[in-house]
Amino acid sequence: MNPLDPRTILRDSVLEIRGDGKAGGGLVLAFQSLASLALTDPTLNVQEWPFFSSARRGANIRAFVRISARPIRIACEVTRPSMVLLMDEGAARSVDFAQGVPAGGTFVFNTRHTPDECARHYRLSGRVFTIAGDDIGTRYLKASIGNVSAYVTMAHAIGGFEPTSVIDSFLATLKKRRIPEAVLQRNREALEASLAEVRSGVFDESRPGDHEPPRFAGYGELPVGAQTALRLSQTNQTAFYARSGVRLQFADPEGKCNGCSHCITNCPEGIILWEPDPKSGVRVTGAEVSSYCKLCNECISVCPFNLFTEAPFEEAWQEAEVSS
Amino acid sequence: MSAPELTAFPRVTTPSGERYEGVIDLEPVKRAHKPLYTERTEVTADGNAAAALAVLQMWRCVVYAGFPITPSTKWIEMISAHVAGQAGCLKRIKLMEAEHAVADYLAAAAAACRDLIFPTATSSVGLDHMYETVKSLGASGLGNVMIINVYRATANYPLCIEGDPSDTFGQRDAGMIQVSCRGKQQIYDTILQIPCVSMHHDVLTPSMPGFYGIKDSHRNARLLCEPDAAIHEFQDRWIKPCPLPGLINGDTAMGNCVTSRHFQGFKVAQRRRYEKVLEVLPRIGADFERSFGRSGLSYFETVGWPESGGVDLAVVSMGPDFGTFEEIREGYAKAHGIKVAGLCIRLLSPFPREAVREKLRRARTVLVVNQAHHQGRGHLTLDVADALINLPSPPAVVSAFCGMGGADVSEATWEAMLDNGRRALSGDMPPPYQIFHEGAAL
Repeated sequence: MNPLDPRTILRDSVLEIRGDGKAGGGLVLAFQSLASLALTDPTLNVQEWPFFSSARRGANIRAFVRISARPIRIACEVTRPSMVLLMDEGAARSVDFAQGVPAGGTFVFNTRHTPDECARHYRLSGRVFTIAGDDIGTRYLKASIGNVSAYVTMAHAIGGFEPTSVIDSFLATLKKRRIPEAVLQRNREALEASLAEVRSGVFDESRPGDHEPPRFAGYGELPVGAQTALRLSQTNQTAFYARSGVRLQFADPEGKCNGCSHCITNCPEGIILWEPDPKSGVRVTGAEVSSYCKLCNECISVCPFNLFTEAPFEEAWQEAEVSS
Repeated sequence: MSAPELTAFPRVTTPSGERYEGVIDLEPVKRAHKPLYTERTEVTADGNAAAALAVLQMWRCVVYAGFPITPSTKWIEMISAHVAGQAGCLKRIKLMEAEHAVADYLAAAAAACRDLIFPTATSSVGLDHMYETVKSLGASGLGNVMIINVYRATANYPLCIEGDPSDTFGQRDAGMIQVSCRGKQQIYDTILQIPCVSMHHDVLTPSMPGFYGIKDSHRNARLLCEPDAAIHEFQDRWIKPCPLPGLINGDTAMGNCVTSRHFQGFKVAQRRRYEKVLEVLPRIGADFERSFGRSGLSYFETVGWPESGGVDLAVVSMGPDFGTFEEIREGYAKAHGIKVAGLCIRLLSPFPREAVREKLRRARTVLVVNQAHHQGRGHLTLDVADALINLPSPPAVVSAFCGMGGADVSEATWEAMLDNGRRALSGDMPPPYQIFHEGAAL
């Protein structure tokens, strides 16, 4: 496996980059910023676009960018990118973010994990870059959002951009939006910290068949109105819309549930578990959170005894599967 | 201050009534225009932004009517932000309660001042809601109405928010000048030129420039904006006061209504004006190219046609997906040892039949790629077949559908469609039409 150099690719053909994340997580801004940075070089052509549906905040979204030294005519979606970004590891629950990437490609992660851990966990062969972007966002921007860091890491992974250009281009975009000077300064600090904290390595962990794009073989018989075969997510489970890193937890060690049933009637997904109780009529025993809990917090807000909470949960590392 | 008497203005008699020359003084309007760009400027823009910038730079655009609807919403948002952010800006936004009201407003406002341009941008359901007025506009002679159509699947079920030119083809016979664009620069350039065609004294027909929702409306790329002054100079060369066709000045009130024996004359005049587009549009395109150094309006774009001689397989299509065909064309032709060329149709209505025939008569087989739902072989296929009908030995016509509902048209899909065209080359004619997706025939 020979690592592929993005600069060589964009010079000789078209560098195609795909990003996976969740709505509201800053993925689109990260890609727009990368496109703006590339366009500061008059010899480069860029095509950048987001891909999302009408789904709510937290739903899986994608973003794409093509960069090339020659005019870009191709208009189809990017299905065999030579570089990918996983902005939110929760997104990897419903899509294979590395699908179609050739051996030697580039993988960028917004994560606390090391490149080595990511390469082994997701079975990747190529260049792996990681940045704890959410932590940097929390530190400098008072928000757990890693788009600034993801942008910096992608630019770093492509190579050939001066650090000052990377910073100035991003700040110029913010200035156009009339962002206050104090916020600009905090973004500058976040950009500088990101440049200093990028980690990388080259690994060869994939196995034959890993991340192969599936071959489309027609739809067969379709029910009326069928669209699921076209959709991005492998299944339509609304739990994928939930924020990453937390999960609903029910605990009632002292038997406080009085059977008021507010949680049952308010849950939009009908996932509250209960059993008949001779005294109170109903006794709540938990919630089936793996498929449909999107953390709307209705149960948390209505329970008179605060029996529902959000608990930390490293979902991606426990649940994300490598497709092969 | 009281309004001046009409008698103070010279009356000009025209076949359709009288004009009062100079009754609306547009010079103050022109002087009040605040330029967006004073020199050629490079920006990053998506399709909606490119369309918004173009109309913002026109001095003749002072009122923008709109109703937010995906995927064209950013057009009106961008114009609103510009108007709100520029102190003393003459331009105004009219947000209407629904799309049919937008069309009604455009009709009334455009009739009130023939020399200003009244644009909106809409898509699919919005255009469907405008349907009745769009038909009327097509016959109105109001060339100063511009409906920018951001193609999107027409009212299908379940609601689809992806791009599809079905809405354009659904309005195919509304009588508007329909031009398809691809890419940010072409969108911008087309919107600068199209009023010159639609307001030309021989044409006087409203326009509907269009581009694909999502595939172009939401894709960012480099865009070169021209200085406002140069745009004004170009447009003012072509747009001048002229006599109006009859419908909008009261002539239809009694003697020229649908029951009149003269009504057919009105329809014939409408048709003649419409067909004049075929003469006027290339002239304006050539002038644009001379003025700005980029390709101007044309019937179609071409790729892969030799100076002389024929090609084995000619592809006819439209929109940004044609670019993917361009990308694979040479490799495909080389791999199969055939000559492959393409026509990317830009002028949809009126369809440039003669020019298409002259080009395609050099092909052995024509593959027409349709991206809009049609009950038969496809709108474009029928137009192409009609254009070829009188040739002594017309090429075989193969019809394909893809990208329905705005779906992606991958390289594999293009290859599968081209394979179908090759079948016809060897005398094995495929079915009348087939639908393709992800490289498979469905």
